[in-house]
Amino acid sequence: MTIRRLIGRPRQRAGRRSWLVLIWLAAVWLTSTPVVAQNSPDAQLHYASSPASDTAASRLVVHGALDVPLIEPLLDDFHRRYPHIELTYRNFTTLEIYRTFMSNAGEVDANEATADVVMSSAMPWQYRLANDGYAQPLYSESARNWPDWARWRQELFGITFEPIVIVYRRELAERFGAVESHADLLALLERESEALRGRVVTYDPASSGVGYTYAIEEARLSPRYWELVAALGSVDAELVGTTREMLVGLAEGRYSIGYNLLGSYARGFVRDHPELTIAVPDDYALVMQRLAFIARSANNPRAAKLFLDYLLSEAGQRVISEQTPLGAVHPALKGDGSASALRARLGGALRPIPLSPGLLATLDDLKRQALLSRWMREFRRGAATQNTHPSLRKTP
Amino acid sequence: MTAARTSAPASLYRRLLAWLLLPLLGLGALMLAQAYIGAREASDRAFDRLLEASSLAIAEQVKWQGDRLWLDLPPAALEMLTTDAEERVFYAIYNASGDYITGSARLPSGPERSSGKPLHYADITWHGLPLRLGIRAAQIDDWSQRERFEVRVAHTREGRERLTLSLFQGSLARLALMALLAVGVVMLAIRSALAPLTRLRRAIRERDPRTLTPLELPLPRELAELRESLNELLARMRRVRANQERFIGDASHQLRTPLAGLSARAELALRQDDPDIWHAALQAMGATSTSAARLATQLLSLTRLNNPEATAELRPLDLSEIARAATRNALGTCHRAGIDLGVETPQAPVSVAGIDWQLEEALGNLIDNARRYGATRITVRVLDAPATLEVEDDGPGIAADQRLVVLRPFHRIHQDGAGSGLGLAIVDGIARTHRARLSLHDAHQGSGLRVALTFSRDRS
Repeated sequence: MTIRRLIGRPRQRAGRRSWLVLIWLAAVWLTSTPVVAQNSPDAQLHYASSPASDTAASRLVVHGALDVPLIEPLLDDFHRRYPHIELTYRNFTTLEIYRTFMSNAGEVDANEATADVVMSSAMPWQYRLANDGYAQPLYSESARNWPDWARWRQELFGITFEPIVIVYRRELAERFGAVESHADLLALLERESEALRGRVVTYDPASSGVGYTYAIEEARLSPRYWELVAALGSVDAELVGTTREMLVGLAEGRYSIGYNLLGSYARGFVRDHPELTIAVPDDYALVMQRLAFIARSANNPRAAKLFLDYLLSEAGQRVISEQTPLGAVHPALKGDGSASALRARLGGALRPIPLSPGLLATLDDLKRQALLSRWMREFRRGAATQNTHPSLRKTP
Repeated sequence: MTAARTSAPASLYRRLLAWLLLPLLGLGALMLAQAYIGAREASDRAFDRLLEASSLAIAEQVKWQGDRLWLDLPPAALEMLTTDAEERVFYAIYNASGDYITGSARLPSGPERSSGKPLHYADITWHGLPLRLGIRAAQIDDWSQRERFEVRVAHTREGRERLTLSLFQGSLARLALMALLAVGVVMLAIRSALAPLTRLRRAIRERDPRTLTPLELPLPRELAELRESLNELLARMRRVRANQERFIGDASHQLRTPLAGLSARAELALRQDDPDIWHAALQAMGATSTSAARLATQLLSLTRLNNPEATAELRPLDLSEIARAATRNALGTCHRAGIDLGVETPQAPVSVAGIDWQLEEALGNLIDNARRYGATRITVRVLDAPATLEVEDDGPGIAADQRLVVLRPFHRIHQDGAGSGLGLAIVDGIARTHRARLSLHDAHQGSGLRVALTFSRDRS
């Protein structure tokens, strides 16, 4: 069990090198990010430039943590619009992206491996790179008009809009009623803890970086989060590393309800599994964004600016909205899953993870240890009360 | 200034404007620099509060836990470091021995440590980014544990620069307005200060060139002095013109008398038939015309001497030689008149700068005067230190109160004498040409007159 692993982990010594910690942290964080989970062999896409065009041919290297099937429609469309650009896309895990980038940082060379545009869902890491000055600004018209909440300093742009959702099996709703909010979930867990024992699944914040980020953001949003953690502990919730594991378990019927799933993946999966239902909580819903920036050391800054500008343009966002399960940010797009549609439905309940220095706190090693120990304490407290003194349990 | 000087006529207005506006410009630049520095300091003070609050919020969360420093970093502590300008934010915790505990960047400890204050600030450059760094020295006061540590927070300067710029723009507008006012006031002031000058110029220009009456117009003190100087000059010119008019009148009178005598004599002689009478008349007319010619010569030389624009070049010469030559010239005349003429010169030559013929003429005139006024003994004397030419006689002399008057042209002590009254005036003119002083004294012995020409030491 994960809890044991956490407790038994040897403490870091004060004299350690901090980058080792960072890499360890990144490893823990990212090995479990959903995009990264299936690192397919065709992790590279290449588009040759067509010599016919009168514009001078140029090259562009994009590093991303987006599975090829997700990114391919975007790249196809971009290549159709700018055929003179020889485009190379390499898919990495978010950890690899960070490590590759840092090893090349500051060196402008003709090396193929140097990224011009970097896209990743690891928001704190992307924020940290931009904060430390590794990004260069983009002042195009769409970049200037980009919503403030999805942009930092004209350098870092959130290009997708992916709410964190609850997914449950239909029979759960038939038996206990629909779950539409965190409050519903908390009430359900506390009311039906016997029936749901072992049938609830969520991220393990200790082994999954994404789960950790959600935990830290939710703890900031509401002190009642800790009650929810205790309630999850009281039903012996299963702690896993990826959204895919949760979805597969739900589809197989091992779990009745999954908490904190990445909405963009869930949408695609649920379309093929009618026995599952997605609920975007209407009291508050975290929203994750994939962040893109142009590297300061980009070899092809012109092409990089074209590409990022395309990602922010209505055309690029339309591809994201219509041909991928990811949600578009562009305010002009109102389609299913777009930021505008979700906002219209949920209003103020949406809580995009802010692009602010608070993300740096997420990366703090001591902060992480402090939060995880609190999380585990709350989780075990819930388990213990449930097992030993059911009568003493708090009721909401 | 130089521009005003190179463009040929230097304008007083432009010069004043330059001298007033250039310092004003310098002052303005100084005030601008001061305003910028002030704005920068003000915005630093304002934004340093953020560093202060943030470092305090972090320091409060540092605890001693499990034999080590422990920090539950509050995200809000980092968020308060960023404003609308979206500054880049960095933080770090260091322990007492300077070891890195945690943070997002290994921030330096700052250039210098001012003891006493728990918080100090520094402007640093970190990885090419200009940062404002705030360092808070803090300490955990636990029951058993006393541990010192440092919180270092930093952010980029965008917000500060924005505030500086907006503060500076405010003072820029105020300064521009002040400068505009100052320039306007200066130009008005110069114009009004120079107005009397224009009036004076107009008054002078509008005058008839022949009038020499004094200028009468109210002027400020500085220009009143100029007006007085002008009036003095005009007064002198009036005196000079009066002298000239009198001289011309005298000269024509003097020339008319012998000419009238000549024509009367000629008419008288023509009425006679006796050749002896004709002869006597011709002799008399010859003498009269000789003296008239001499008078004309003297008038000419006096005019020449009085012309200030025709100064002959002075050459070094020996006074003794001049004295000897003049004595030689006059020796014949004096001998015939039974006058004892002598010359006294020092052994060494007495050198002055002068014109030899003028000095000889002056000595000749003086000897001639002495001879005409009844001297029996004349001594020409050369003295050294100061260089002096002296002519001493034993004649009747001139009373002390007459000595200045005799220098005027056509003045004669005895109206019956054959002299023209120009002799001493010519000597005086020569003396002035040589910048020498002409003075009349009593003779060393007896009743005679001693005339001295004392050369000034300046021999240029």
